[in-house]
Amino acid sequence: MADIDDGTSAPASEPLDLVRLCLDEVVFVKLRGDRELKGRLHAYDSHCNLVLGDVEETVYVVDEDDEDEEAVKVGENTLDGFTRTDWGYLQTISKKSEMLFVRA
Amino acid sequence: MASQLLPLELIDKCVGSKIWVVMKGDKEFSGTLLGFDDYVNMVLEDVTEFDYSGNHTKLSKILLNGNNICMLIPGGEGPVAGS
Amino acid sequence: MENGSAAQGEGRDPSGFLSEIIGQGVTVKLNSGVVYKGELQSVDGYMNIALEKTEEHVNGVKKRSYGDAFVRGNNVMYISAD
Repeated sequence: MADIDDGTSAPASEPLDLVRLCLDEVVFVKLRGDRELKGRLHAYDSHCNLVLGDVEETVYVVDEDDEDEEAVKVGENTLDGFTRTDWGYLQTISKKSEMLFVRA
Repeated sequence: MASQLLPLELIDKCVGSKIWVVMKGDKEFSGTLLGFDDYVNMVLEDVTEFDYSGNHTKLSKILLNGNNICMLIPGGEGPVAGS
Repeated sequence: MENGSAAQGEGRDPSGFLSEIIGQGVTVKLNSGVVYKGELQSVDGYMNIALEKTEEHVNGVKKRSYGDAFVRGNNVMYISAD
């Protein structure tokens, strides 16, 4: 999924035209396995393989709720990118890379 | 040789009638079959979507991706009416 | 998308249905259970979908919105006309 801010929405004839309009723009990509990427779209193909530059990857990991939980409210951020949720700690891991190839 | 009915011909006979679709995994749909293509993507009307948890959702008209379809039961009303 | 001998045009077969609902509000459900609601811009033979004014719903709760969104077809379970 790509999020672009394109005011003029020309009647795109096919979905990949939307991706073409995103070339050289910063796009947000949701991947399987609770991963997200934000980066500049350099290239794509018909399979949706992507080449992204200046990428920030975010991985969401849920840790089991352990007993020695501190008094942290739901949704409140803790140190190290942990967020207390109602089922456990949601850990967000961020990684940066200069160039990334994403296989469709 | 007895003329055999090809699988897709069976589905073609269901166009216009109720059909019960069992997906890979725990999901099922029932509705009126309006049409389908070679991939068995199907257009269904007055659809009920059955969840694994027993929830059902009504949908007026959908295009169902054939990729995850496991089984089709002509005339089926879904798991509620099943015996 | 290919279609058999079935009558086309009035949204009876997959391609007829798709051309009928272009520009309308649709609900797209993915195999993961995530739902995207928006205005259908276009669809292709792989069921890749371009949506406008997209809302993301997880477990029935609205999570995010996007101006434009491209959904890769392999993730799509169904497209429903609203």
